Amino acid sequence: MLSSSTKQALRLGSRFSRPATHIARASCARASTSAPSNPPSPEQPRTTSFGFRTVPEDAKESLVKEVFDSVASNYDLMNDATSFGVHRLWKDSFVSGLKPGRKGPMKCIDVAGGTGDIALRILDHAREKYYDRETTVDIADINAEMLKEGYRRFKKTMYHNTPQVAFHEANAQEMSKFPDNSYDLYTIAFGIRNCTSIPAVLKEAHRILKPGGTFACLEFSRVTNPVLNSLYDQYSFSVIPVMGTVLAGDSASYQYLVESIRKFPPQPEFAQMIRDAGFATGKHEEGGAWTDLWGGIACIHKGVKL
Amino acid sequence: MASSSKLLKLAIPLVRTHGFSREALARSVLELPAGEAHSEPLSDSAVSSLFGEGDKARKNLIEAWLVDGVRHMQKAEAESTSAPPTLRDVLRTRLQYNEPVLAQLPEAFALLATTSSNFHFVDPLPALHHAGRIADEACYAIGDKSLHLSWYTKRASIASVYTAAELHQLVSPNTAYAFLDSLLDKSAALSNSLGEVSLFSSYILKSWQGIIKSQGIL
Repeated sequence: MLSSSTKQALRLGSRFSRPATHIARASCARASTSAPSNPPSPEQPRTTSFGFRTVPEDAKESLVKEVFDSVASNYDLMNDATSFGVHRLWKDSFVSGLKPGRKGPMKCIDVAGGTGDIALRILDHAREKYYDRETTVDIADINAEMLKEGYRRFKKTMYHNTPQVAFHEANAQEMSKFPDNSYDLYTIAFGIRNCTSIPAVLKEAHRILKPGGTFACLEFSRVTNPVLNSLYDQYSFSVIPVMGTVLAGDSASYQYLVESIRKFPPQPEFAQMIRDAGFATGKHEEGGAWTDLWGGIACIHKGVKL
Repeated sequence: MASSSKLLKLAIPLVRTHGFSREALARSVLELPAGEAHSEPLSDSAVSSLFGEGDKARKNLIEAWLVDGVRHMQKAEAESTSAPPTLRDVLRTRLQYNEPVLAQLPEAFALLATTSSNFHFVDPLPALHHAGRIADEACYAIGDKSLHLSWYTKRASIASVYTAAELHQLVSPNTAYAFLDSLLDKSAALSNSLGEVSLFSSYILKSWQGIIKSQGIL
């Protein structure tokens, strides 16, 4: 049981008793508006993708939660095993490219950031590079257990019990507890593809960012080189589920994770979605609106609220 | 809704006061129309997000300024009393465009010539592209109808003349226009000489062909 001071620091709200999930980046899966050109009828409920399957929007949250519940206990191990630790390099690159704290303290929010790995990198970067101890990060995640995990991790750091970090239980698609125009930087890493409605997430991001604020998303994406893509496909669909079976005793969940990556919009399409949400981006090309990492296995998209 | 290209356009006038810098890009949002204008410049991460990290953002601003310079050359066409304008007028108009930012130009050209890789060597391609683009626009403005080999030689000649005049302008702005005129005159004289040499060579060649045929060799 958490003490009252811990509760205050966590600011977790009243949904603490959700099923345990120890997986990062599963912070949004509530039904919301998607496919606006195809209005739902009572007979035909709205659908969304769940890996390669099409499921009712209302069902996605529980399905995603089941997946992450299943892989939770071995998720960090599997992340390192399947990416050979490269995801850590990507996260480092993601944060260092944002240069938090360079021009003074920033108010940041890391969505789907329960484990706090991005938030910790932001605070470390600001402190180590720019002697900045005033930059703050609010960590938002739909999963209270994930926030507990992040809170536990932050206890090992100097940021524990400081105004520099706060934890919030929140759905990325409905961030009503966060006021308009309140953040300088919005980050979401390996989380947005698990959301039911990506446009809804982007819309909320645009709302809570200040004018001039930056939206930054790190996500798996499409490999552009056909040879590398073929090798990547072979590895993803043949090796990762087997590794899931061997290391975590669960191949189906890892099959979903691989499939969900393939269902995520390719770089140009996602960049257009960011612009449709009201953000300005760089040129509509690699190196402009988005930056591929390792040939497109992962990708960083950025936008600015003007 | 403002876009990154719109901000680049708004940043171009700021080059006079802030140089080809990220600061000029950051301040572009202050120049937006009333209602859209920001109260503070863009943050460093926002500048990087829109225009690229580090010097890449500055290179984007320089490129936007160069493209605007080409558009500026079209003013010579519009203002010319005799249509089409002369090559002299077009190139003078482009040199005039440099004047407000002459102090910043050496650094800008040095930045363009610097590669982004770890190997530091001078990259001549941006300079060639810059001169080639101006030569091409100048030919368009004066209604040049050159074809085949002369299409290339005409542009190469104009690019060389303009590059020399621009380099001269960087060290001696007051004499740049006179230098441009002298180069154009010499270029025209050289072109005439080359044409005459070429014509005379063709006569010699035809004569030899006739002599060889008359001897029954061919």
